[in-house]
Amino acid sequence: MKIRNIAILLAAIIIGNRSFATIHVVTTTQDTRSITEIIGGNKVSVFSIATGFQNPHFVDPKPSYIIKLSTADMYVTLGLDLEAGWSPSLLTSSRNVKIQKGNDAYVDASIGVPLMQVPSSINRAEGDIHAFGNPHYWLDPMNGKIIARNICNGLEKVSPENKDYFEANLKTFNETIDSKLKAWNAAMAPFKGTKIIAYHNEWVYFETRFSLHIVDFMEPKPGIPPTPSQLVKIMKEIKENNIKVIITSPYFSTSSSDVVSKQTGAKAIVMATSVGAFDSIKTYYDLFDYDIKQLTAALK
Amino acid sequence: MDVKKLLLIVILFAAVKAQAQSDSTKTDSLLLKKIQEEMQQPQAPAAQGHAGASANPDISVIGDFRTLYQSYGKHNFDAVLNEAEFSFQSVIDPYARADFFYSVSEDRLTGKFSGEVEEGYLTTLALPAHLQLKAGRFKQDLGRVNPVHPHALSFIDMPDAYVNFFGEEGLKGDGVSLSWLIPNPAFYQELTFEATDVAAESPGFERSATNNYLYLAHLKNFWDLSANSTLEFGLTGIRGENLNAKITTVGSFDLTYKWKPVRFNTYQSFTFQNEFYYSHAQQPTGLVNAIGYYSLMTVQVGKRTFLTGMYNYSNAPDSKAFVQQSGVLTLGWLATEFQKIELETKYTTMNTPMAEFNFEKNYSKVSLRWIFVIGSHGAHRY
Repeated sequence: MKIRNIAILLAAIIIGNRSFATIHVVTTTQDTRSITEIIGGNKVSVFSIATGFQNPHFVDPKPSYIIKLSTADMYVTLGLDLEAGWSPSLLTSSRNVKIQKGNDAYVDASIGVPLMQVPSSINRAEGDIHAFGNPHYWLDPMNGKIIARNICNGLEKVSPENKDYFEANLKTFNETIDSKLKAWNAAMAPFKGTKIIAYHNEWVYFETRFSLHIVDFMEPKPGIPPTPSQLVKIMKEIKENNIKVIITSPYFSTSSSDVVSKQTGAKAIVMATSVGAFDSIKTYYDLFDYDIKQLTAALK
Repeated sequence: MDVKKLLLIVILFAAVKAQAQSDSTKTDSLLLKKIQEEMQQPQAPAAQGHAGASANPDISVIGDFRTLYQSYGKHNFDAVLNEAEFSFQSVIDPYARADFFYSVSEDRLTGKFSGEVEEGYLTTLALPAHLQLKAGRFKQDLGRVNPVHPHALSFIDMPDAYVNFFGEEGLKGDGVSLSWLIPNPAFYQELTFEATDVAAESPGFERSATNNYLYLAHLKNFWDLSANSTLEFGLTGIRGENLNAKITTVGSFDLTYKWKPVRFNTYQSFTFQNEFYYSHAQQPTGLVNAIGYYSLMTVQVGKRTFLTGMYNYSNAPDSKAFVQQSGVLTLGWLATEFQKIELETKYTTMNTPMAEFNFEKNYSKVSLRWIFVIGSHGAHRY
């Protein structure tokens, strides 16, 4: 009898632990970290490899990340080869079969995203071209809903007993995005079709969502630092099109943008490309609050 | 059966068995339930824009073109396609991946090319207990320079001690490597054991005609000192047969400090790297205890520009009396991730004149290296 009671107690503890165990998730970036935290709520503990002010193309695959990956229950990648320089080697070294590509706990957040700038052929003479399309898709809040769906699917596979909880959080997330998008669209409406200059080709999804028009880039080709001739071309374009703003990202040097700004009078502003880029950006919603506030203030 | 052979077979068998456990029929009873759960999962929309995906491995070719001037010999200026490296890398199945590197290099004296499998190995992805097995031909887990392909290094001439003890090609072999990620939550620790036949010419070790395999153990320790700086300390022990069919034991440590600001990591960085080797070799003349080390600093002075300075000190594995010292300065310029040019000047002094260097005790060398990559090449280790 005693043995039976002990067995029942142990089974209850094991089942109890499974129900209440925290799901350890590793994400490649802060944006997917934020969305995972929103969908996973108190069921998840999330670690992001890249910081919000770091270029996600160029993250150093430090061995210390392998410790986190080795015990992760789920891995979320932005995919589309954005992290090709560091994610595959970390996954191989993790020795964690659960999170390897193709398994349930490997979540590619890009699945189902309507991709833009998908090249018909790859030619590196055109700079850093991504074979699957422009990978900066999280900068459209509507794509955030697709990312959230993919993360929710992953969490439900890892922890099916919490499916209803995740679905409820997903519903709240989608409603919040829909609600906030109305406000963001309203704030951006006066600037529909406004021409701007960007440093790197990473704003196409944001540009399309908010009907902006990026005329040119400081980089002559993606990944190639600005050249004097490119800066001269940009200055000419700014004057011809009466462009008021140059947008850049936290991880690029502002020296060339500052030169162009000084010569033309166009304002150079640093926009956030990820959650955590600046202290005030704690969540995925904050990212667009911040960027739209910065941009509208500069365009007024 | 030979105990060492038996050990290799046991390791391989255990690895295959451990992987096969993933397919255990014990889980069959849960299959139907799993399928039902899967069918209830919300289906993700169809992927878009992935038309270019294929089952082909990542394929790349890396060219290493060099021109060099050296202050000794009659043929002291040269231009060679030093190496063309062909790589094929992919996962095999859910349990393992494979990496192949085929190298074609030019003989400076004859101008003829010869090719070899530089590396070709399988790496497991699904072993339990944080274990990972590598099997095939591979560069061995010795310090910071040996596991890295030369084109990824910030200097052209390999460190003197490394060349004197392990050869230009370094230490590589055919065999198995079993590594264990030590479950230490405080900092990264990895313990590796390797048993191989020596696969390349090496002054310190030779492929044995008997069952004297080369055994290597490496403990890697890695700390994040801050968000921007890291420290790595490695210990290596090696035991194998030398050129005189006797045993050589090498003890080594490596120490590397890196600083790279997270926000501007493509603009600024600093590396301080050191490796020390102690060789204890049984020679026909008796025991020879020799040492060698290098110390280098690499400073990124701009987005595309790197400057490396290195000091070398080395004995020879068969002579403690031989002393070679050199200073190296390398300027590197990266056009993109796929192309770099490096200019290096090196001054060497030795206490014993050698035929290899036209019996000059002191000589200088200037090298220009142009590395260019086409295709998709996997990332290098941190």
